[in-house]
Amino acid sequence: MLLCDFHIHTNYSDGSVELRKTIDLFGQAGFDVIAITDHVVNGESYYGKVANRFRFSVNEKNFGAYFSHIHEEAKRAWDKYGLLVLPGVEITKSSLSSDQSAHVLLIDIKTFISATWDLEKIFLEAKKQEALIIACHPHHTSELMVIDTLYLWNNREKYARYIDAWEIANRDDVFNVISLKKYPYIAGSDFHRVRHLYSWKTMLNCEKEVAAVKQCIRYNRGVAITLFRNGVPS
Amino acid sequence: MEIFWIISGLTILGLIGFGLQILAVRSYTETTRKPGEERDSVGTFPPISILKPLSGLDDNLFDNLESFCRQDYPKYEILCSIQDSNDPAYRVIQKVKEKFPEKEISILVERCNDGLNPKVNNMLPAYRHARYPYILISDSNVMVDRDYLRKNIQLMDNSKIGLVTNLIKGVGSKTIGSLFENLHLNSFILGNVCFLKKFLDISCVVGKSMLMRRCDLEAIGGLRAFKDVLAEDHFIGEKIRERGQELILSSYMISNVNEYWGLKRFLNRHLRWGKMRWKILGYKYFTELIGNPVLLSLSSLLFEGPSKRALIFIASVSLAKGVGDFYIGGKIKAQLHPLAYLLSPMKDLLMGLVWFMSIANDTVVWRGKRYLIGENTALFPCPQKGIWTWRYRLVDRIRARVA
Repeated sequence: MLLCDFHIHTNYSDGSVELRKTIDLFGQAGFDVIAITDHVVNGESYYGKVANRFRFSVNEKNFGAYFSHIHEEAKRAWDKYGLLVLPGVEITKSSLSSDQSAHVLLIDIKTFISATWDLEKIFLEAKKQEALIIACHPHHTSELMVIDTLYLWNNREKYARYIDAWEIANRDDVFNVISLKKYPYIAGSDFHRVRHLYSWKTMLNCEKEVAAVKQCIRYNRGVAITLFRNGVPS
Repeated sequence: MEIFWIISGLTILGLIGFGLQILAVRSYTETTRKPGEERDSVGTFPPISILKPLSGLDDNLFDNLESFCRQDYPKYEILCSIQDSNDPAYRVIQKVKEKFPEKEISILVERCNDGLNPKVNNMLPAYRHARYPYILISDSNVMVDRDYLRKNIQLMDNSKIGLVTNLIKGVGSKTIGSLFENLHLNSFILGNVCFLKKFLDISCVVGKSMLMRRCDLEAIGGLRAFKDVLAEDHFIGEKIRERGQELILSSYMISNVNEYWGLKRFLNRHLRWGKMRWKILGYKYFTELIGNPVLLSLSSLLFEGPSKRALIFIASVSLAKGVGDFYIGGKIKAQLHPLAYLLSPMKDLLMGLVWFMSIANDTVVWRGKRYLIGENTALFPCPQKGIWTWRYRLVDRIRARVA
């Protein structure tokens, strides 16, 4: 089975590791498929303004450079490690209320999608680009300093039809509500720092090709999650 | 007053020792190779079996393994042994094997519990499968250049030479733990290994790279004979020396890549190594204190208080140590940022603490298991029952709670 992580940030947004080193880190650890998903933050909110001010967000201006850098690194990763790297973003609609906050991963996108658009427009544009749509950390997390992103879960009747998979596990958290609702699932590390390498991951039983990976997640067959750890427990 | 001068004297003695270490490192790095006949035809390069014990993901593991697949050497096999196919290193070595289908790479998955030393346990299946007359024990966290095998085998040019080991340098610091680790490898470890060889003709065997003839290893009982000691590398060297064979410390430097170590891992490793040296050296271990001039200079505060004289003395010694480490780093191309050497005195202070802790108890935690260490680093299982083990269990409990 392919060892995958579809939720990875670099220093293009608020990750602490640069893109090349991030790819090397996953390549050296024997991963098969990863997606680079830096934040695209809605610039209207207070949070978004701060993120854009301090360059913690990919925006329309630097998206081209971000995208071509990922492609360049993806080629190197494939040649060196046999690692498939997919370009993506995390659409970040954050507000001070957890009920109004929503984060969505768009994987294998082709052009820039703005976080200022309403969610339906974002989903339709992502579908047009044949991107995967993943609802990330959709329920309460154990992170004390982070505002939960509950909007998609609270409005699941409206949005579930657009979403290809929900994160059933994110870093150290497991969201059993996804299982109870029998929604399609994946797991991701929400990688920001090196130590996040050791966290929940997705295993896929498919060929190591972009189309096969996307199909496997959409059909949600041959998908498993694993808690990736190093060494023996003490 | 007098105590201050005694401490100053000991510190200056330590600095002189450090100066000699720098000279020894310089002399080693400027030596190209030991005189010996160049081997230039395929027939003169005997086939080598490389034993690679793997356990968990080392930093840079893929590149480390790849560097052994890119050796400019006519015939060799790489035997990667691993205790469990669920170990994350298993996927990495599989990928490397797929990338180099033309290379003789074997992956041996076998849970071997013959002894107490987990590294030897891990290597025993590989040793059984080794086919060639030369055995190279190589840790998974080392990276080498293409001519590594060629250069090392050239040193085994007669039967009097029983073992070739290499100098190591720490590279690739990206966290404070790995920075301390690399600073320590590049100053204390490298300096002492070179000093002992250069001035006292004592060869320290570095377990990260040991090249031997299989027949010599068999003659000392094979790897199995070292399954219950912590310092298997040291005792392999000792047994070979007892047979009247020479140990060669090659000036060929190999890289130990430490990128993302935490402070805890750094301390744990050196606590283990410290206990190992304490058990091997006995009271000679106290001479290591003189090898830590920063700690010695700081001890003047205990007797003198924060006087101007004491503070100037500490600052001067720290500066001298930092500059010395910087010089060694430059000589061995350690690729550390110059500002990193400002932390060198702090690392020395931490190592002083580790020095004291090493003699404080007789247990060691290695790869998740606790062992008791006896004379000559003999390992014993740490009893789980009995009133006297309460302190180990208490410490483990507290650590688990904190985690």
